[in-house]
Amino acid sequence: MKKNGSAPAFVKALRRIFALALAMILACLLLSKEGFLSVPASAAEDEIVLRVCSWEEYIDLGEWEEDEVIDLESGDIIGVNPMVEDFEAWFEEVYGRKVRVEYSTFGTNEDLYNMLTIGDVYDLVCPSEYMIMKLMAEDRVQPLSEAFFDTDNEYNYYINGVSPYIRNIFETHDIHGVSWDKCAAGYMWGVTGFVYNPEVLTEEEASTFRLMENRDYYRQITVKDNVRDTYFEALGALKAELLTSEEFRQDPDYAVKLQEEMNDVSQETIDRVQDYLQAVKDNLYSFETDSGKADMITGKVVANYQWSGDAVYTMDQAEEDDYYLNFAVPEECTNIYFDGWVMLKNGIAEDPAKQQAAEAFINFLSRPDNVVRNMYYIGYTSVISGNEDERVFEYLDWCYGAEEDEEETVEYPLGYFFDAEGDDTDYTLTVPEEQLHRQLLAQYPTGEVIDRASIMEYFDQEKSEVINRMWIRVRCFNIKNVPVPVWIALGAVIAAGIVWAVIRKRNRA
Amino acid sequence: MKFSRKTLGIPYIIFLLIFVVAPLLVLFYYAFTNGQGQFTFRNLTGFFTDPNTVGTLFYSLAIALVTTAVCLLIAYPVAYVLATSGLKSKGVIIMIFVLPMWINFSLRITALKEILTLIEGNLAFYPFLNSVIGMTYDFLPFMILPIYNTIVKLDGSLTEAARDLGADEKRAFLHVTLPLSLPGIISGVSMVFLPAMTNYVVLDMLYNSTYIMGSLIGSYFSAYNWHGGSMIALILLAIICVFTLVTNGMEEEDARAGGALL
Repeated sequence: MKKNGSAPAFVKALRRIFALALAMILACLLLSKEGFLSVPASAAEDEIVLRVCSWEEYIDLGEWEEDEVIDLESGDIIGVNPMVEDFEAWFEEVYGRKVRVEYSTFGTNEDLYNMLTIGDVYDLVCPSEYMIMKLMAEDRVQPLSEAFFDTDNEYNYYINGVSPYIRNIFETHDIHGVSWDKCAAGYMWGVTGFVYNPEVLTEEEASTFRLMENRDYYRQITVKDNVRDTYFEALGALKAELLTSEEFRQDPDYAVKLQEEMNDVSQETIDRVQDYLQAVKDNLYSFETDSGKADMITGKVVANYQWSGDAVYTMDQAEEDDYYLNFAVPEECTNIYFDGWVMLKNGIAEDPAKQQAAEAFINFLSRPDNVVRNMYYIGYTSVISGNEDERVFEYLDWCYGAEEDEEETVEYPLGYFFDAEGDDTDYTLTVPEEQLHRQLLAQYPTGEVIDRASIMEYFDQEKSEVINRMWIRVRCFNIKNVPVPVWIALGAVIAAGIVWAVIRKRNRA
Repeated sequence: MKFSRKTLGIPYIIFLLIFVVAPLLVLFYYAFTNGQGQFTFRNLTGFFTDPNTVGTLFYSLAIALVTTAVCLLIAYPVAYVLATSGLKSKGVIIMIFVLPMWINFSLRITALKEILTLIEGNLAFYPFLNSVIGMTYDFLPFMILPIYNTIVKLDGSLTEAARDLGADEKRAFLHVTLPLSLPGIISGVSMVFLPAMTNYVVLDMLYNSTYIMGSLIGSYFSAYNWHGGSMIALILLAIICVFTLVTNGMEEEDARAGGALL
């Protein structure tokens, strides 16, 4: 064979394949960055691309069965198409422009923040209130436009439908002097509490944060694997006596003081929380990331600290197996939380068309029939009450209202949420008595529960670091806890290994 | 275009540069800088002076050591018996051992959770034991396969010679088969030991709420402390490097010893 002449046939073939593959990869790389992906976009020049990022399983995906239809007095509601597709069609019809929604999801607020830090760009995101506060404080949020608050526009479903209760909270809370409602539109909200098995625990036992330290349920209770929730629980347990005292309750500034106590991040308190959590860790089943719901249903644990939306889901799932779980809100206080939509400055990039689409998206999700669809699908509670539109309240009655022949019924007033004056007359449900401890309590807490609800603010950088370090210390295995026999055994093993190696070497030599 | 054998390596080199070398450089950068981007050793010293992070390293090592030992104790006899038996359908039996790997990992652990709950009642009473069982369940095939492959390729005449020269079965095993199967053991150990230090998903799913190295890195990242997290990842990398160097040294030494044996 000649050195520089023709190579064997298979090498030639290999060469061709290789060159071809390389060319294709290069072509793909070039196209995907510049041309390839934007081809459909440039085909429809005036199409708006809206990049939305929200929680996993936090929007109706449609495809309901026929028998899932929600037959309200004012008409049937059913999810046929995914909510996002319905929005695209609706937007084109109302605003005459095409919009394409790129919908992606995140797992935790911290994940979302990390994604944004790495450089992912979104136009509209749906984090929890403390992350909204953090993003607002970092000046990343695009304020909502004036048009969004125009109550005369019939398509402004959000401003026309948001519950007066939620609206008041958004207007009276601020970060660096900017109230929440200027930048954020609520989506879902709820409180926290314990889902528990009523055959094992009494309601009284489950209605306190101190359940975590209850030795009667040694290693049978789970709480969330999440520094903020556990911090709140520990605070509630440590301050139980103060929080439940009559004097504190009757204080004219009760609401303000409660929020101060539940956002106490002084070094002394952080240390106490650490000691407390380290002590109760041994009494708990585990800190769960996502298994709590399933473990309640299968009966592995008897109580689980939950966000109300997940609690509703857990109780619904259990009921399908004819297994009944209850919900209790700690008597000390409860953490009220909100997930809300905010537009991001670097995504919107001062493009008015894009901002209009983003705001239209919020409005579309706030249309009462869509609110019902989402609530039915995910189990959380919408911030929308509907105001003039009665469909949300009708849906509640449809879900929880007592049958006519039901004997044990109670009145369940919800004026605080549905009525601007907080008047209960038009907004009182008649429900089976058991709903006082079931899904209704979780999904729409009573006014009494709402009175002891506290928002958990965001901690600044410095405090976050201290609290995160505290949490890591709680979760880590402290080297000082290694029992002495283990050290001795370890030493013996190492010594034996060295001796063995030396003997071996000597024998070889 | 001049085309040589070396050209065939280009795709891999590109892959290596983008997905291995570049991330490593990023890791180094974060590990040795602080929030302001200044060079610092504080992440390193911080790790070794905090009894909690050192404790986590200890706990991870303990889990990994016990898991590896259990895997070895189960895998070696199985591999040995299988390799030396006269069975015709060895391939099928080996396949049965590998079979679990064809089923999704989290599905397997979920099933294991239910089985363990049946046996133990309350899983939270035995977090360490459960973690070891979970890891063993997960990593056992990685231990069986390399050991089996080494033993099955051993020259049977060596043990025969040992027997002819008067060694009983025990001596022949200890002085011929075991040393010669050491390379299989070493590669099995390294395939089990290192992942066992970081596979925190098993711990999470089996309700062990104590952090190991993997979860510790995760917790630093979700607290936006990328610098501390990168340093821990780097420390793990250093441990792996030392481990690999030591085992390679042992392998070479044994290759020489094995040569002397022949």
